[in-house]
Amino acid sequence: MEAKTEEKFFNKVQKNEFYKKWLKSAWPYITGAILLSLFQIVTLATTSDPWGVSGTFANWGAWIYEAFGGSVDKWYYFSSEGAQATLEAGLLAHGGSIRNIGIILGALLATLLASQFKFKKIKSKKQVIAAVLGGLMMGYGARIAFGCNIGALFSGIASLSLSGWVFAIGMFGGAIIGSKLLVKFFM
Amino acid sequence: MKEYVIDSFGEACPVPLIKAQNKIKEIEVGDVVVLQIDHSCAMKNVPEWARKDGHNVEVEEVDDGEWEVIIEKTH
Repeated sequence: MEAKTEEKFFNKVQKNEFYKKWLKSAWPYITGAILLSLFQIVTLATTSDPWGVSGTFANWGAWIYEAFGGSVDKWYYFSSEGAQATLEAGLLAHGGSIRNIGIILGALLATLLASQFKFKKIKSKKQVIAAVLGGLMMGYGARIAFGCNIGALFSGIASLSLSGWVFAIGMFGGAIIGSKLLVKFFM
Repeated sequence: MKEYVIDSFGEACPVPLIKAQNKIKEIEVGDVVVLQIDHSCAMKNVPEWARKDGHNVEVEEVDDGEWEVIIEKTH
C-alpha cells in the first residue's frame, strides 16, 4: 500500500509543470550565463579574488601527495609563503576547495533531482586513453597558464584583463586543433 | 524508409553530434537515424543542429538519463 502511494506521488511530480521546467529540462544558455556572471560578481566582492576552479585541484594533489608522506615544500609552484600557508591551513579553511566540493555536490544533486543519474559504461580502450591524455593536458595547460577556462578566461575577461582575451584566442585555436585530432584518432 | 540506430551510449560531446552529422550525410531522404545517448549535452546540441538543418526531430527519454534522438532526413 505504501509503495503504491509513493509511486503515485512520483508520477504526479513528474508531470508537474514546474518540476519539468526547473529541475528536469536543461536551462537555457542565457540563464546559465546570467547566473555565472552574478556568481562571479559575488565571488569577487566577497573574497577579493576572481573565481577559479583548477588551482584548487593543484592543492588537492599536494594534500594527497603529503598524505602519502611526500613533501612539496621545495616545488617551485608551492614555494611562495602564501601557497605554503594555504597548504598548512588545510582543506576546510580553503574557500576554493569548499566551492569546488559545492559544485560537485550541486551537480550530483541536480542530476539526481532530474532523475538522470547514471554510471556510464566505458566503451573502448581508446576512450580511456583519450580521457587520460585530455585530462593530463588540460591540467598541465591550466597550471602553466595560471588558470583554466574559468580562472584565466572567464575571470580574466570579467576583470577587464587583456590576459583573458589572449587566453580566449589560444583556447579557440586549441579547440579547433583538438576537435580535428578527436575526429581523426578517436571516432 | 530505412532506420539506422547509432549506439552513442557512454560517449561525450561532441562525438554523438559528429556521428549523427556523418550518418545524415550518407543516408537517403526519408530515412531515419535513431541516436542513443546518455550525455545531457548531446541531448541539447544534437536536436539543435538537426532542427537548424531542417530535419524532423524527436527526443525521447527511454530510461533514467538515457535518450533516443530520432532524426528524419528531409532534404
